[in-house]
Order: sequence, then structure tokens, then C-alpha cells
Amino acid sequence: MLTALLLIPFLGALALVIWPGQPAPETIRRGAILVLGLQLLWSLRVLIGFDPGDGEMQMQESISWVQSLGLEYRLGVDGLSMPLLLVNAGLSLVSAFASIGISQKPKLYFAMLLVISGAVNGAFLANNLLLFFLFYELELIPLWLLIAVWGGKNRAYAATKFLIFTAVSGVLILGAFLGLALVKGQVDFSLTPVMSGQLSMGAQLVLMGALLIGFGIKVPLVPFHTWLPEAHTEASTPVSVLLAGVLLKLGTYGLLRFCLGLFPEAWARVAPWLALWAAFSVLYGSLAAIVQRDMKRMVAYSSVGHMGYVLLAAAAATPVALLGAVFQMVSHGLISALLFLLVGVVYRKTGTRDLEVLRGLLNPERGLPLTGSLMIVGVMASAGLPGMAGFISEFLVFRGSLAAYPLATLLCMVGSGLTAVYFLLLVNRAFFGRLAVTPATEPIADARLDIQLPAVNLRDQVPAMVLTSLVVALGLVPAGLGRLSESATTAMSQLPALVAAIASAGVG
Amino acid sequence: MQNITPAIRQGNHPTVEQLEQQLLRGQTLLADTPLHLLEVVGVLESYGEVLDAYSRNLIFQAERQFLNPLPLFRFLDGEVTPAKIWRHLLHDRINFEYAEYCQKAMFWHATGGLDAYLDSEPFLENCQAIIRRKTGRDPLLGLLNPLFPEFLPELIRSAATTHALGQFWRVMSDLFLALADAERSGTVRSIPAVVDFIRQGLVDAAANPITYSVEVAGETMPVLPPEAGLTFLVDVAVPYVEAVFLRGMPFLGTVSFNAQAQQISPDQGQFTYGALFADPLPTMGAGIPPSLLMQDMYRHLPEALHDWYRDVTRGEGDVRVKICSSFQKSMFCVTNAAINGTFPFPLDSSEPGAVAANRTHARAWAQRLSQARTDCLDEEPGSPLP
Repeated sequence: MLTALLLIPFLGALALVIWPGQPAPETIRRGAILVLGLQLLWSLRVLIGFDPGDGEMQMQESISWVQSLGLEYRLGVDGLSMPLLLVNAGLSLVSAFASIGISQKPKLYFAMLLVISGAVNGAFLANNLLLFFLFYELELIPLWLLIAVWGGKNRAYAATKFLIFTAVSGVLILGAFLGLALVKGQVDFSLTPVMSGQLSMGAQLVLMGALLIGFGIKVPLVPFHTWLPEAHTEASTPVSVLLAGVLLKLGTYGLLRFCLGLFPEAWARVAPWLALWAAFSVLYGSLAAIVQRDMKRMVAYSSVGHMGYVLLAAAAATPVALLGAVFQMVSHGLISALLFLLVGVVYRKTGTRDLEVLRGLLNPERGLPLTGSLMIVGVMASAGLPGMAGFISEFLVFRGSLAAYPLATLLCMVGSGLTAVYFLLLVNRAFFGRLAVTPATEPIADARLDIQLPAVNLRDQVPAMVLTSLVVALGLVPAGLGRLSESATTAMSQLPALVAAIASAGVG
Repeated sequence: MQNITPAIRQGNHPTVEQLEQQLLRGQTLLADTPLHLLEVVGVLESYGEVLDAYSRNLIFQAERQFLNPLPLFRFLDGEVTPAKIWRHLLHDRINFEYAEYCQKAMFWHATGGLDAYLDSEPFLENCQAIIRRKTGRDPLLGLLNPLFPEFLPELIRSAATTHALGQFWRVMSDLFLALADAERSGTVRSIPAVVDFIRQGLVDAAANPITYSVEVAGETMPVLPPEAGLTFLVDVAVPYVEAVFLRGMPFLGTVSFNAQAQQISPDQGQFTYGALFADPLPTMGAGIPPSLLMQDMYRHLPEALHDWYRDVTRGEGDVRVKICSSFQKSMFCVTNAAINGTFPFPLDSSEPGAVAANRTHARAWAQRLSQARTDCLDEEPGSPLP
């Protein structure tokens, strides 16, 4: 059943590429939407078959592939990957929907979109380290192409920077996986926690450190974040939606699944430092967001800040904190996708994202009132206002981490307050005030606001409205997602204690 | 005093000298183009329809809701039925709140002969007579009057302004509807003809007496008696132009009402929030009262103008902003007509005293208008014609 989640997007991509003739871009887009709609339906089908009470891997499928390498095609889903599969399915669809007016190589564009979606599914489902790595790398090239071919003015620089950073991330991760096999002396890439009996703490720390930096680049955590604002600034709106909403989650998923999951003992050893790193990342991201003039860079830096919460929760590794981490991944996926969509609408209609130029966009007849209203809801959710998804996730993360790391948690809470600061700046500058043309006397060369803004087609706003509804729904009724992930995150939180108990029993 | 961020101008702004020359030469302020003709005549026609309703309601309020301290049903024109209340609540109606807003602007700015009379001794004597007769039969007013002796006279002053504005708009409504007929019949074919038509209408009605009396317990009692000598042009039309076209009132949410922010001049005479200064863009925003007028006019737009609005910018999506923009142009025409109608001497007179007097008149207006949104008066480039 899980294999279908790979077959649907990959075969869809293949079909798009070999589609005969030169169909209209709109036809290709519809085809991609159809495939991704099917993928979403199948993900829901998997959800129906999923047993939330079971914290173990479910619906496992395995085929022995290259046995001598330890590469096994083994898929499975648990409470950690299930919500992320749904987010991927949903946001891939949103992304295809938002890909309007792709006139340049539309076949390739939508095929790449489908490949990314399938690769992300594969990475979330993989129950073998090498298989995970394959899918993790598979998503890299299409995304690089999407930025390098369909990006903005400075796309070559941004795409190359993205490629270098993520390639290094991949090398570190692969190195850690191979190193693990090497020091264990057996080609076993299955997902089982490493025991102290098998490896010394020093070896565990080195291997986990490599994974930590590898996934830290992807998350991204400061100081490995510098590729992200560039990539977002140059990527088109649908690519930003995918990047922020889904691809960053590969990093946090990796932290939880492989760093915490494989090396629970080493993780517990460095956790206090990780919590401080998380706080630093949160504060740095938030403060950097405050000084941005480009709306999209501001939202990108907010991602840097908000992904730090996941590291904090993973460091604390209490059942509540880990549940909070899953919530934060889902809610950040939805909220950042929403914000990027809306920034994309503003950019498409006004031709600028400069917060010094934009003003008064909430003007009811000549502005972008619906976009502005959705943006206000989005930034409220991002700042963690009660009643929306952001509140639930931040509350769980803070509640679960406060006892373990009070200082780091308090610093992260300051970061949450700073979210309100920079997003209120954004809303206040771009949307409130009086809509007016940019005076000709102002020395802004390439960005001017005209009062003859074209209206936004209501149909184009449907994805943003759906995302807003989901953000509010998740904030009001978080129990469903909680039930889905609780068993898995609780099981994960008990790993360090479990490993310690086994170790002490072995010694005794 | 801190300068309020001026509305951003798009078109050209004529200088004081240019405006003065235009007025003295008898040229219209608004450029004479077919599109302007369509906009001005069309919007004034719908304005005429709306003013008809406003005028009837103001006169109804002044006569039938007189000294009613809680006039809950004042917008229903006496027809208090569940169906009408329901339609009122659903906003399937004319927004009489805008008429009230204009009345308040006039009442508050208090300029001209009408206001002078409202502060005079004979007016107060009439008030006392009315209040004596009314309080004898109305226990609530009987209680309120001794407690707040200034309250009922102030209500009567307000009612007098309401009635006067109702009478003014009666004339203007008929004039604007007649203008539309004249355009249809082909007698008015240009912006100068429109201005002249309005000027003639104002001049014809200039001497109309403004009177107002109320019926209290079967007896008709004067509030603005004929002896007060109040007339249409000088005592009502001019204060109306001053209060609504020029000074106006700042809209909530567009400037700070905090005195320390010093965004609003402490001198009412310096106010420039009137129709000729307003930015049409915020129309339909919260706290922008003319939105109500635009909504009312939207319901009565002539088809030709409505078709043109559908074709430009966002079509129906921003139609009220477009109506407001056209309305501003038409109000420049009305102001133009009022200026032309109040020149002390004919424009072609060559007698030096007359020329000097006309020049003074033109200069005074040009100075006030130079700060207004005169950038809307050019031909808009690129606007498709219907």
C-alpha cells in the first residue's frame, strides 16, 4: 500500500515527461494536479488504515534489494511520519495549484514537482538508512533545477549555494550511515537504536555529530542557514511553498528519526547544548527577520526561527515535547506555506516585496483585501495566538521542555514574542495605512506601487483559504493529530531510558 | 503644526495663477472631454436620484421627528412596518446616515447667514415659544428642559439646519435630474455647458426663501420665519459648499484625533477634508462616510456610465472608488458653477473697479482650490471611451 505513494508521483512524472507533443502548460498543470490529488487521496487511504494506538512501524513492505550493500527496500509508517506524509501530499497539491503561468518547459517543471513529492514520501517512509539517503538525495536535483531554471534574477547564485550546502549535508549523512556500519562491523542499515555495548560513546558522538550537522543544514539551524533566505528569495512561490512546508521537515524528521532514534544515549549526553543551540537559532532567526525589507526574506528567516523549536523539543525529548515537535512540523508546514503563498500573491500583483514601498494593501476596493485578511490570520497563527495551530505546537514544545531546560525554553519564548514583532511590522507596513502610489521623488529604482493593482482571482485564493482553514481547525481541534502521533512520540521519548536500562542490565 | 502627509498626486496640479486665469477667462476647471461629460452627467443624475431621497427624509425628520430625543425610526420616512424595518436592517435602502453626516458638517462648521440667524435673539424667542408649548404636552421634554435648558434650543437649531439642507437638496436634485434630461435631449453637450447649466440653476434659485415651521399640538409655529430673510444661495448653498466641499471633517481612522499628535488643525477654518480635497481611494474603508453615498449612487447609476465602469480597472470590484472619483470631478463642476455665479461683475466688463473685484474673487477661490485634488481635472491618459 505504501509503495503506491511512490508509484503515483514517480509514474506521474514519467507520464508528464513522455507526454507526446507540446500540450498547453495549463493542461500539464491539470495533469499534475490530478496526480497529486490522487496521491493525497491515497495518503488519506493510508491514514484510514493507520492504527494510532500502535507506536511501532506499520504497513511494512520490504523487498531485499542489494543485499551485499545492506540496501533493503523497506517501507513503513508510524506516528511521526504519518502527519508529514499528509502535509507533503497536501502542500504538493497546493504548490501545483499555485504554479500558474509556467510557460518555460512546463513538462519538466511539473515532472520535477512530482519527483520531489515522491522523493519526500520515500524519505518519510524509508525504514532503511540507505534507502532514506537515496530519497533524501533524489529530491535535491529537482529542487536545484526548480530554483535554477524557474527562479528570480539571482537564481544561479542561490541555486548553487543551495546545492553545495545540501550536498555537504548529504555527504555527512551518508558518511555517518556508512561509518555506523563500519564500526559495527556488519552491513546492517536497519532502523535500530545503537547500544553502548556495540559502540563506544566517543564513536557514537562522532557519528551523531555528523548526522546533526547534516540535518542541521537542512533544517536549517544557525549558522548553517545561509542558503535558505537566498533560495527562498530566488525561488518562485510554489517552490518556496514546497521548500518551507515540506523539505525543511526532512531535516527535523532526520533529527528525530536518526539522531535521537539511532543514538539515544549520545543524544541525551549533548541535549543541554542542543537546547541552547535551539534557543540561539530561534533568537537569531527572529532578530534577523526583524531587519528584513523583503517580505519573503522575512518569512524565510521566520522559518529559521521556528524550526529551532523542533530542536528544543527534540533535546528535551519528553513525551509532551516530542508531540510538540510533530505539531510544530505540521503547523509550521501549513503556516509557512500559507505565508509564502500570500507573499507570492502580493509580489505577482504589485511587482515588489519591498516593505518600504508596499502600503495600504488592505484597501477594500483597490487593494488586496482578502490576501491581507488571510495574511493577518497567517501571522497571528505564526506568532502563536490561541485558537490556531501555532499556539498548540508552541505550547506543547514549551510545556514539554521547560522543566528540562528552563533557560533555553525561556529564550525560545522570547523568540515567539519576536515573531509578533516582525510580523506586525510586515502587516503594518504592507497592509495598513493608506494605499498610495510611490511618489516619483523617492529614490527607489525598481519598485513602485501603483494604485491600479489588478484584482486577485478568487479561484487563485482557494489554496490559501484552505490552508487558513486547516491552521484554524488544527488550532481548535488538535486532538486528532495528537492521537495520531502520541504513541510514536511517547515510544521515542522512552528510548534513552530504555537503552540505559538494557545497558545496565547487560553490565549487571 | 505638523504637516499631514499629503495625498499622493498623479496628474498635474495647476498653480494659483493658472486657476485664477482659468476662472477669469470663464474656462472650466474640469477638462472638456467626452469621457468627463459622461462621468459628470451620469454621476450627477444618480446623485440627483439620491438627493431626492435624502431631501425628503431630511424634511421628514425636521417636521415629523421634531424634538424627538430618541428618533429611532427617523430613516423610515414615517412608514414603520416590519417589512421596511427588515429591509432597513439588511441595508436594502438609501443610506440616510450620509445626509445626516453632511447636516452635522454644516451644523458644526456653522458659517453664513443661517448660522448667524440661529444665534440671534428672534430665533431664541421662537424657540422658547415652541418649547413652552411642547413641554406642556411631553413629560420627557418637560423633565429634560429644566435640567438642561440648552438642550432643546440646540435640538431646534439642528432641526433647522436639517430642514434647510433638505430644501437645498430639493433644488439640487431637480437641477441634476434636469441636467441629465438636457444632456439626453442634446442641449448640453460639453463640460462648459454643464457648468453653465448648473450656474443658471443656482442663479435662478438664488433668491428662493428658506423658511421652516413646525406643527406643535395643532398650531403651526415658525422656526425660520420669512422675516428672517434667509435665501437659498447665500444662506444655505454657500455654507454647504464651505462645510461639505471645502472643510469637511476628518474621517475616523485616516488621521489621529489625538490633540497631541497635532494632525488636525485647531482652527476649523483651516480644515481641508471636504469633497474637493478627499482621496477617493479609501472609499469603502471603515470610517469613510462618503462610502455610503457611493453605495447609494451605485444603486442609481445610469446604464451608460455603469457600462463604462464595468470596462475599466477592476470593473464592479472597485466601482465605488470610480464613482467617488467621478463624483469629485462633478463637484468641481458644481463649485465652478457656484464661483461663476457669484462673480460680483460680469466677466466681460472692462471697468477697472469691476475687473479688480472679479480678480479678487477669482484669486480667493484659486488660492483655496490650489490645495485641492485638482490633479483629477486633466484628461486621464489611456482611459478607454465607451
